[in-house]
Amino acid sequence: MHEPIVRVKNYSLTIGDKKIVEDLSFEVFPGEVFALLGANGSGKTSTIRSLLGIYDVTSGELLVNGKKLTPEKASTIGYLPEERGLYTRAKVLDTMTYFGELKGMARNNARRESLAYLERVDLADKANVKLKKLSGGQQQKVQLGVAILGNPKLLILDEPTKGLDPVNRKLLLTIVDELQKNGTAVIYITHLMEEVERLADRLLILKDGKARAYGTVKAVKKEFGSESIEDIFVSIYNEKSSEATNV
Amino acid sequence: MSKLRSVIRHEYLTIVKQPSFWIVMIAIPTLLAAIIGLTYFGNKSSAERIEEVARELKNVSIIDKSGLINAAVVKQTELQFSTDVSPEEAKEKVRQGSIDALIVYPENLAESKTYQVYLSTNDFTKSSSVTSIADNLLKTSLFIPLGSAEIIALAQNGATGDVTMFKDGEATGGFNDYIAPGLFIVLFYIIFAFSVSYMLTSVSEEKENRSMEMVLTYVNPRTLIVGKLLAVSLVTLTQVTFFLLLALIGFFAMQQVGGDITLPAGISLDKISFSPMPIFFGAAYLIVGFLMFAGFMIATAAAAPSSKEANNFSSVFFIGAFIPFYFLMPIVTDPDGIVVRFLTFFPLTSPVVALIRNAVGNMEGITPWLVLCTMTIFMLISIWIAVKAFKLGALEFGSAIKVSKLFRK
Repeated sequence: MHEPIVRVKNYSLTIGDKKIVEDLSFEVFPGEVFALLGANGSGKTSTIRSLLGIYDVTSGELLVNGKKLTPEKASTIGYLPEERGLYTRAKVLDTMTYFGELKGMARNNARRESLAYLERVDLADKANVKLKKLSGGQQQKVQLGVAILGNPKLLILDEPTKGLDPVNRKLLLTIVDELQKNGTAVIYITHLMEEVERLADRLLILKDGKARAYGTVKAVKKEFGSESIEDIFVSIYNEKSSEATNV
Repeated sequence: MSKLRSVIRHEYLTIVKQPSFWIVMIAIPTLLAAIIGLTYFGNKSSAERIEEVARELKNVSIIDKSGLINAAVVKQTELQFSTDVSPEEAKEKVRQGSIDALIVYPENLAESKTYQVYLSTNDFTKSSSVTSIADNLLKTSLFIPLGSAEIIALAQNGATGDVTMFKDGEATGGFNDYIAPGLFIVLFYIIFAFSVSYMLTSVSEEKENRSMEMVLTYVNPRTLIVGKLLAVSLVTLTQVTFFLLLALIGFFAMQQVGGDITLPAGISLDKISFSPMPIFFGAAYLIVGFLMFAGFMIATAAAAPSSKEANNFSSVFFIGAFIPFYFLMPIVTDPDGIVVRFLTFFPLTSPVVALIRNAVGNMEGITPWLVLCTMTIFMLISIWIAVKAFKLGALEFGSAIKVSKLFRK
């Protein structure tokens, strides 16, 4: 296998007196879809924010392309956060161009690439419309566009299909497929296990900030003696905390 | 650097592209001009109407028991003393409408300082006219012994004091010296009314619409805050330029139509002085004060769970900035008093008090520097709190951050 694009080693995060993540290690490789799973509050979003350099970690190493990520170096990252939202009073194209610039793209390139994306997702006629005039699904497509601007090497999608209709869901999954084929590593956070079954090459299940299952989908299924990721997930969460052991 | 430029451009354009921005910009001078114009023309026409009614009033009786009213003055007004009737009889005639009005100067006028006016109507204009006649009769009668018309006018209207003040043995420009540094007070309130609240809106909206997390992925919080501050400064510059342009257009338009431009309080444009130190301190207090309030606004917006709650809490800062106007007289006349000293160094009142005191020149020795140093320390603290609150609160959607968290390592 190639060198990992993401390497997380012995990462812990404590905020105040609360341990959010404890001694977590994992790797993500180029061209794979890596599913990061866990119930609400299990530490998924905190892990991503730490990886992106938004949160200061308590201990451990989180590296992207061998380096600690900071906002200044995040130009090759695409991120669609769970808490979604864009500038509702701004126009679609202006917003996309602005984020392209923040990713380090030249203004003209960001504009051209944004227009091409809007054309692809049937939103070209909305380029100069304010975001608040768009439906929820259309806004979500714009957000995905912002995330994939500049052909990121690492794409982090936090519940990307939440609230999407089947047509747009299929479109999103097709785009993810294409990016993956082009070598983009995708960290995919979701509660929908059928998406994991369909897309993921490897996975990590977090519970109370600790890794409870980690490896290829096939290996995890074998380890837990089950053919269903959903069953594995449920069995992990049905275990009492005292029985839990870190992977 | 390019990210900072992108943030500045985005923040600046987000504000100036809003129709509400230009509506407010145009509405303020328009409303101001309308109020001034209406007040001027309203007062003028009201005064003219009162004079007109006063000229038409002939059927007015005057009874003078005080002996202070001069018969010649009464005669000039073409009115007459009523000597053949008692006040009660005359009052009855007014009630019945046979005479329009009655003025009675009582015997003890000097002590009571009150005379009576009776009218056959409840017309407010007539009432004002008769009262005006009664007042003029009394004043003119009292001033008559002084002699010439000029002296009477002088006694009635007073004279203008041509004040010459010296500082360090040199004559100063007097009130004209206060104008240039005083403009920083006006500028501060323009900034405060618009720009400081933009900081609050900008951060709280970004937090509320959840775009903050995506922004923070690519931009350092410090770059984002600095970008917002610079963008808001540019917005202020735009506003000030716009208002100045309007003022200049108004000035030249008045000149073209031959209008007389008289500035209040004897201010003369050619006598306005531009002393470097008061201007330096005015600019310094303005910038430091703006940054301090902007820091507090960012902290409030980042710490509050919603823009509504951020707005509610921010009123504390608005009150702080307007409090000095309740203490304007002591600030100007008693700068060494304990209250003024406290207000000069209290963070929320310090910028405005310092600007007023700088304008009227009542800070001596090292005081201006001391005030600037103190304000700079407050500004640094406010920006430190802002960055800390921003880091802690920017991604806390829907919940407030505790003050104790701000000071935790």
